[in-house]
Amino acid sequence: MKKWWSATGLVAASAMMLAGCSGTDGGNGSSGDGEGGKTTLTAWAWNVNVGALNDAMEMYQEENPDVEIQVEDLGRLDVYDKLSTGLAAGGVGLPDIVLVEDDRIGGYATAFPDGFVNLSDMGFDDNADLFPSFKQELAQVDGSYYAMPFDAGPGGMFYRRGLFEQAGVNADEIETWDDFLEAGKKIKEETGAFAMPLDKFKDDPTFRMMLNQLGTYYFDENGNIDLTSDEAVMAMEKLIEFEEAELIKEVDGWNGVVSATVDNSVAAIPFGAWYYGTIIDQAADSSGDWGVFLLPAFEEGGNRASNLGGSSWMIPAGGENEEAAYEFLEYFSTTPEVQLVAMQDYGLFPSLNSTYEEELFTSEDEFFGGQKIWELFANQMADVETPYYTEDYAIGLDEAIKAQADAFNGMDPAEALKAAAERLAERTDREINN
Amino acid sequence: MRSKTLVPYMFVAPAVILFSIFMAYPIIYSFILSFQSGQGSNMEFTGLDNFARLFSDDIFITALKNTFILLIIQVPIMIFLALIIANLLNSALLKFKGVFRVSFFLPAVTSLVAYSIIFSIMLMNDGVVNQFITAIGLDSIPWLSDPFWAKASLIIAMTWRWVGYNMVIFLAGLQNIPEELYEAASMDGASKIRQFFSITIPNLKPVILFTVILSTIGTLQLFDEPFVLTKGGPSDATLTIGMYLYQTGFRFFDFGYASTIAYVIVILIAIMTFIQFKVTGDQE
Repeated sequence: MKKWWSATGLVAASAMMLAGCSGTDGGNGSSGDGEGGKTTLTAWAWNVNVGALNDAMEMYQEENPDVEIQVEDLGRLDVYDKLSTGLAAGGVGLPDIVLVEDDRIGGYATAFPDGFVNLSDMGFDDNADLFPSFKQELAQVDGSYYAMPFDAGPGGMFYRRGLFEQAGVNADEIETWDDFLEAGKKIKEETGAFAMPLDKFKDDPTFRMMLNQLGTYYFDENGNIDLTSDEAVMAMEKLIEFEEAELIKEVDGWNGVVSATVDNSVAAIPFGAWYYGTIIDQAADSSGDWGVFLLPAFEEGGNRASNLGGSSWMIPAGGENEEAAYEFLEYFSTTPEVQLVAMQDYGLFPSLNSTYEEELFTSEDEFFGGQKIWELFANQMADVETPYYTEDYAIGLDEAIKAQADAFNGMDPAEALKAAAERLAERTDREINN
Repeated sequence: MRSKTLVPYMFVAPAVILFSIFMAYPIIYSFILSFQSGQGSNMEFTGLDNFARLFSDDIFITALKNTFILLIIQVPIMIFLALIIANLLNSALLKFKGVFRVSFFLPAVTSLVAYSIIFSIMLMNDGVVNQFITAIGLDSIPWLSDPFWAKASLIIAMTWRWVGYNMVIFLAGLQNIPEELYEAASMDGASKIRQFFSITIPNLKPVILFTVILSTIGTLQLFDEPFVLTKGGPSDATLTIGMYLYQTGFRFFDFGYASTIAYVIVILIAIMTFIQFKVTGDQE
């Protein structure tokens, strides 16, 4: 009996040692208030967002000297993997603040209903009108706010002035996708450059922007599958028209798009405003050669406003610093100066409406040949339709990419979308429209 | 006396504790999870529903088919190549054996993700491989975008990565075959090829069985290569069970169903291994 006890004791002791190792990075809700009553908030974010968060904290500290922030710079997908695992484990090891892209907010808030702080309960509804309507809708689940809107990705075609001029094409005259198709053919003939890049078999950003522009998405506002709508078929058919004219350059993932951007092999890149940062960074020696026009419409006078990407802040529930995190994030999200810094220094396009009145938004951008690109982006914000991502967005994306792959491999676009919609219905128990 | 009896426990304690936390607990917990369904934290017990769902899940069946196509084509090619190379490198006539052995083994030490990325770059539409193919006057091949060629690309990449590894195991096995057998066969006038099939292969049988089982397990768990090279596409043409498991758990948040898939992989591996033992039939 004694032997047994000592063995158990040993096991327990070693277990405690192990626990001690993992306990140092402060389980749920960070290190809490450290020495001298200071509150240290912890946050997970990626890329340029980290700098924006740190700078905002410096500005915040002028009024609130007893708050600090510790931001962990993780990869975008690593944030999601850690967040999913932490939430699945019942909310262990999570930070006070986490950055989440808009298309994932609904998924997280629905899959983990107790996982995040309900911001409406803390009074965020009073701030709602400060943001464009589509951003408001994206931050809510069942009428309550679970996220604070941050950046947005108003869409545009980033184009090479040099290639357009060489082919004698005037970007201002491109109003419809058909105009752009004709322009693309001319450019290809004169310069050999493709009209746009696309990772045909692995991602569908252009299709998504087109859907958003046409006021639809994978799902409609009732959560029904909308992939078989006339609009979705029209969008996919348009892409295939470009493909058949050999105007789409096949690229491999994000890096492929960037290298096509840099090596002048594509004339235009349809993306969100955040791509500005990548262009000035990666293609630094092509200053002045760039311009932007809005996504072409599907018919003369049709909607040209669109949005791709954007993210918001969420507060995991159960942390010690929920209040402090809320107050800081509210300051972050609703203070134009903070948003301006994020925009100027990090290229993160704000969704806070009042920021657009700042001087920057009427200034000319040298890198883009003196064009007032920020005004162009900001002016479409109010017209952006809400994309209804739902909690099944990841599965919708999976099926839409398959539909695109099938269409590019020769299947009729309408049939490819129909098949995808049926698989999606099977996987999500949702209804298909029409 | 007491301290003496304690010593062995102290030595095994770290291993036992680590095993319980990182192996035993997940194994048990995922078993329980495999009877639950839902998204994220909304889990409920659904009994055997998950297992029933597998049979009507077209994507799972596609993944299963893909995995078995890869298994049936890739493993024999790889094992056969490894056998031939091991034999050549074992030949007394060959000089610079060390250099050759190292160069064939080298792929096996590269990281799975790193080599997959290199292959994806080489196999791109305008990548090195297609540039070479068009340079000699042939049409470029849609390596990663055509359902057939995407599978072929995976097979080529995996064969490159694993041939050397199996070759080394065979080389070790070859050292245990007595030289006299070959001498006697030569005296009787058997050709080298005859010797390969009548002496080498029968004598290596246990080793071959071992590598086939290892490769089967490896292929059933295949994840890195399709994840990096093709993301399972185009349109699920290279989706493996391992990838579907990851997607279900970490992208679609259905940890219950993902656990069910994990257990199905375990069962499949057990069945496959059992069959291989039976087929190759150890007489004893």
